[in-house]
Amino acid sequence: MLNDASSGWQFIVMLVLMGLLAIAALKRPLPRTLAHGVVLLASLGLLLITLYSLGDYAQRALAETSSSARVSQGAAFWVMVFCCALAAIDAFQRTSSGWLLRLGYILIAGGSVAMLFASGHFDDLSIMREYANIRDDFGDQFITHLVLVGSALGPALLFGVPLGLLAHRHMRLRGALFSVLNFFQTIPSIALFALLIAPLSALGNAFPFLGEWGIKGIGAAPAIIALVMYALLPVVRNTYAGLKGVPPATVEAARGMGMTARQVLWRVEIPLALPVMLSGLRIVTVQSIGLTVVAALIGAGGLGAFIFQGLGQYAIDLVLLGAIPTIVLAVIADFTLQMLVVLSKPAGTRR
Amino acid sequence: MIELQGLTKRYGDTRVVDDISLTVEQGEFCVLIGPSGCGKSTTLKMINRLIAHSEGKILVGGEDITTLPPERLRRRIGYAIQSIGLFPHWRVADNIATVPRLLKWPSSRIAERIDELLALFQLDADGLHDKYPHQLSGGQAQRVGVARALAADPDVLLMDEPFGAVDPLTRDALQVELSRVHRQTGKTIVFVTHDMDEALRLASRVALLNGGQLVQYDRPAELLVAPANDFVRDFIGRADLGLKLLSRRRVEEYCRPAQRTRNNATASAPITWQVDADDRPMALLGGRLGESDIARTVVNNEWSATPEMSMKEALSRMVWFRVTALPVLDSEGRLLGEVTMAGVMGHRP
Repeated sequence: MLNDASSGWQFIVMLVLMGLLAIAALKRPLPRTLAHGVVLLASLGLLLITLYSLGDYAQRALAETSSSARVSQGAAFWVMVFCCALAAIDAFQRTSSGWLLRLGYILIAGGSVAMLFASGHFDDLSIMREYANIRDDFGDQFITHLVLVGSALGPALLFGVPLGLLAHRHMRLRGALFSVLNFFQTIPSIALFALLIAPLSALGNAFPFLGEWGIKGIGAAPAIIALVMYALLPVVRNTYAGLKGVPPATVEAARGMGMTARQVLWRVEIPLALPVMLSGLRIVTVQSIGLTVVAALIGAGGLGAFIFQGLGQYAIDLVLLGAIPTIVLAVIADFTLQMLVVLSKPAGTRR
Repeated sequence: MIELQGLTKRYGDTRVVDDISLTVEQGEFCVLIGPSGCGKSTTLKMINRLIAHSEGKILVGGEDITTLPPERLRRRIGYAIQSIGLFPHWRVADNIATVPRLLKWPSSRIAERIDELLALFQLDADGLHDKYPHQLSGGQAQRVGVARALAADPDVLLMDEPFGAVDPLTRDALQVELSRVHRQTGKTIVFVTHDMDEALRLASRVALLNGGQLVQYDRPAELLVAPANDFVRDFIGRADLGLKLLSRRRVEEYCRPAQRTRNNATASAPITWQVDADDRPMALLGGRLGESDIARTVVNNEWSATPEMSMKEALSRMVWFRVTALPVLDSEGRLLGEVTMAGVMGHRP
């Protein structure tokens, strides 16, 4: 029961906040902006008090028991967290709030949660005890994950943007290019990882110096190659779509004024296409963060390693230690790039 | 000066522009007109090499345009298209500064030039300088487009249906303004349109194209009075030919001395103007069809004419106010003379 898990005052605070949410959800009593404000504050409060209760209960429950006893969060906890997030997201979508407000809200929410973690409030939870066991490894794999994502994005942009440009300039190339990239996208990720093992290990064996550089059937090399192949389509497609969206009259005017092809590209086409190109980068970043999890299967490392390890040992806490940071990473990347998209809209076209 | 010599553009076997030769003199306002697909836009774009010509020669200021790199050529020729051609991510000032910046003018000179052009197009009010194109009205955006084309003070200005996307009232105002700017700056202008009234209003010479060929190249009045063939006659539209002609004529060409009187009752001629001590007309005595000679009509602003007004407008006012004469006033409101219905009819076309 919820009130067993919480001490009295925590339970009352929860009830009050839920009451506020209920009032805000009703049609009449509050004006719209006020209602949205109440929802944003109440759902943040509810999230924090839920987290606080969780840690608090773990501390109280384990105070007098043996050190091998464990406390972990149940379904009710996840439902609460999910509902809070849903209420806040919904409120943001209904208000036409600026990105500055959203950024502030997310920083406050993230900061409060981080402070709870840092203060050691959750240390008695079983997931945190698991974390304490693998602390060094966790840091390494987290970095590996980021490095894998980064080394996929680099080549994807390096090749993808020029390919998008080519697709925009040459109609004939476009069809062939997009069918090849679309084909990559249809291969299931595990299959692609597996398919790359044979040719790469053959290559590594045939030319030992390649093997020394890390070109092997398993590990980072096939993972990065596969990630790049998946990342190319969104980058190329959005670069092409962005350039195609520039009004032809604007480009003609630029040429008619006497800009060289390069000046037209850098001063007119790219600035006007940038928001669409960046939203391609956003798709690709979020996608790569997720796909890198699967890359752990072929020994590339990353947060996926914990997930598969946990699945094998039926250790849910280990799975969560891989899954939650992946989700947080994806959300942060998504939000940051969304803001970049907004900021990259040229002042004259931002409305 | 622009010379086209045997200019031809082929796409495969079709000749969209077919052996056009014409000369646009220094300071001339040449309008290229014709039905859609007649090659007028293509001809214009060949002058600044946005489209490469297949045969023939184009000389701008006596120089063959193929001897220059296209970018250098274009920076010397103003180019204006519909308002959509403004760069949406640049402010008005940046848009106008496009070519001067490409030519690497010092920034103080660019700033000076921007202010000059904003003043020339009466855009200097309302802090327009820092606005973005989407914040402008259609008419303002169009003026910025023309100002941008004039920024580097080119001798030649190419305009591709620049007023195609604005409402009729704004278009009238823009045409008046372009005429004024043309008189003030003496630029050579080549202007593409499909609107005959616009052509007659602006042009000092009209080039009528059909099927890629030049059908007639003449002064507007000649085009009306002496059309080269039936196509020209049909294209101009016969129904209101007389009115089109009058739209090219100005009141001062028809103005003749007026009979004046200081007192109320005596009319010394069928049309007599009663004036005050400052020679301002107060009333028209007579001059109304079907009424007695001593009908008295009080003069007001709406049924008077100015020397610059087109005869079409003057005639329209006579019809509307049911008078056979209009007083022609100077800027102080003094009586310069009169235009009469009989005078309109008596003038040879």
